[in-house]
Amino acid sequence: MRIGIMSFAHLHAEGYVQNLRRIPGVEVIGFSDTDSERGRRFSQAYGLRWFWTHEDLLAERPDAVIVTSENARHRELVELAAQAGAHVLCEKPIATTVEDALAMKAVVEEAGVRFMTAFPMRFSPALQTAREMVQSGELGSVLAVVGVNHSENPKHHRAWFAQKDLAGGGAVIDHTVHLADLYRWIFDCEVADVYAEVSNPFDPEVDTDTAGVLQLRLQNGVAASIDASWSRPAEYPRWGHLKMEILGEKGALLVDAFAGHLNVWRKTAGRSYEWLGYHPDPNQAMIRAFVKSVAAKKEPSVTWRDGFEAMRVALAAYVSASEKRRVDPTMLR
Amino acid sequence: MRVGIVGAGTMGRVHAAAYRRIGVEGLAAYDVDPVKLADFASEEGAEPFTDYPKMLAEVDVVDVCAPTFAHQQLAEQAFAAGRDVILEKPLALSVAQGEQILRAARESGRRLFVAMVVRFFPQYRRARELVSRGELGRIGVVRLKRVSFPPAAAWFRDPAKSGGMPVDLMIHDLDYARWLLGGPRRVFARMSRGDRASALEHVQATLAYDDGAMVFVEGGWAYPPGYFRTSLDIAGDKGLIEWSSDQPVPLDTLLPKDAPPPKLGLPMAGLEENPYETELRHALSAFDSGEPFAVAPQEALEALRLAIAVRESALSESVVEVA
Ligand SMILES: NC(=O)c1ccc[n+]([C@@H]2O[C@H](COP(=O)([O-])OP(=O)(O)OC[C@H]3O[C@@H](n4cnc5c(N)ncnc54)[C@H](O)[C@@H]3O)[C@@H](O)[C@H]2O)c1
Repeated sequence: MRIGIMSFAHLHAEGYVQNLRRIPGVEVIGFSDTDSERGRRFSQAYGLRWFWTHEDLLAERPDAVIVTSENARHRELVELAAQAGAHVLCEKPIATTVEDALAMKAVVEEAGVRFMTAFPMRFSPALQTAREMVQSGELGSVLAVVGVNHSENPKHHRAWFAQKDLAGGGAVIDHTVHLADLYRWIFDCEVADVYAEVSNPFDPEVDTDTAGVLQLRLQNGVAASIDASWSRPAEYPRWGHLKMEILGEKGALLVDAFAGHLNVWRKTAGRSYEWLGYHPDPNQAMIRAFVKSVAAKKEPSVTWRDGFEAMRVALAAYVSASEKRRVDPTMLR
Repeated sequence: MRVGIVGAGTMGRVHAAAYRRIGVEGLAAYDVDPVKLADFASEEGAEPFTDYPKMLAEVDVVDVCAPTFAHQQLAEQAFAAGRDVILEKPLALSVAQGEQILRAARESGRRLFVAMVVRFFPQYRRARELVSRGELGRIGVVRLKRVSFPPAAAWFRDPAKSGGMPVDLMIHDLDYARWLLGGPRRVFARMSRGDRASALEHVQATLAYDDGAMVFVEGGWAYPPGYFRTSLDIAGDKGLIEWSSDQPVPLDTLLPKDAPPPKLGLPMAGLEENPYETELRHALSAFDSGEPFAVAPQEALEALRLAIAVRESALSESVVEVA
């Protein structure tokens, strides 16, 4: 199977290349990037063929592509890929507006290609077990979920994460979608309403939000919160956390998805103290699942709709924060 | 200085033990329940009084550890008898009640100390010191957690008697948030409850400040028996503090897991000094010297006002403006 990467704007592209190379039978044909500095740099760093335009990459007729551009450019790239007959794995959030997301759906349906949303946390064994325990009723009826997905400010890796026109927002659109998707997946229901406080207390130099606390009510009645803040300093021993405490009538589950780490001190590294994970990378399982679904001509396990609903929760948070009221994300059209 | 404890329950015992360790002798005690009073008197070495006015005549300071619904009457009687009062939190069940207690203190010329014990926990104090020295820069997001199993005594479960979880338990962190950042502009909270019989209650609240800072407070009586967890996480633009009761402590005890859990969760294991001792020593020395308390009565009243706003928001699932 021949796979191309469309844009190296998102830092996950680097990891995905390695993930793909570990899968037998997959050939990474290269990547497209209209930024020539980035093109040259990553072409060298990963020994990858660089295509200056997306059309050039697609002219190689890849079976599938991974779209890792800036959020606001996903639509344009997904349209090109679908029209070239390539199946798509799209980085989250899948888009920055409802309109763009709907257009993406229309184009992949018309072209008859598959679309998977990159939600790697669904492939974390801890979260998979948590979901099974909730669904089997082991915790009794669930009362509440407290979620934390905070991190350092990603602008230190890629500036566009904190540029509203390219990212669609800041911390809230960056982080909300992961936990929103996990809640939908664990409880098999949509988010009924969102109340959010959103602000920028951490970085006066950017035009986006850097902090957000969301309080959701799921359609099954569970109260679930999300801390989507860029509240960890750059010196933190890791990029951040994904944590979820699920409180049921019979007991609680404490998920700390990246807790399996060694404490490492090094003289040479940029971070003198680091939490170095030793569990398998959930991205690897996600990429494998994508490749498998393409090979088997099957609908991927994480769909466009999953990407869409999670994005609507993030967009609802922005509406809620500016209007100071609860917002039903399914009403955003 | 002679202290009379009112209420021979869990907190009465915690206070009695603390007094013993800080060298306060000659405790007196009063409880409406004569059996509890007699047990308490013999086990804690206190002189029992079945008549409140009689005890008031014998002591210098009254320490009210009775259930919250009895706070106002007991405190007002003590002030009327010319006694200084230590009052367990929460101050009262309503802002109006709280204001009346404060007024009774003022009019009697006696002093009121409301026992907001979290202000005496060394990690909470140290964290606030860093914040107030500006070491974290501008504060952006604060997270505070206090989750326990449901308390055993039945009166806690009746909001008309305890104020419910936000007023009884979450008030600690709401007071701490105010101590760090002052009063918020608005609150939004969601409540989760188990079925009627279970008494499980869990609340998540967001406090929003004018400058964009936010405090997320989690409180609950919904954990399985024996579990009590607290944590703080304070993020500013120049620094971050994390602390959790899940972290290692100077002394941890691993007892058989099937030992019966305590009746009430109190987060004090492994500390150099029990914060209740620090708290009561502070109160007695301030009574003695006339110096101001670390927690002014007005602050306890404001914390109560905020807790009631959280409860109101949780019950109506709507934004409550507070400032
Ligand atoms: N600071 C803390 O950490 C903390 C912890 C728990 C409780 N509290 C507070 O302490 C107070 C007492 O709680 P508790 O857990 O000890 O309750 P408890 O039920 O264990 O004990 C209360 C005692 O007061 C007695 N009592 C009831 N009405 C009385 C009255 N009118 N006059 C005299 N005695 C009376 C009862 O017989 C009982 O012995 C409450 O206000 C509670 O909110 C504080």
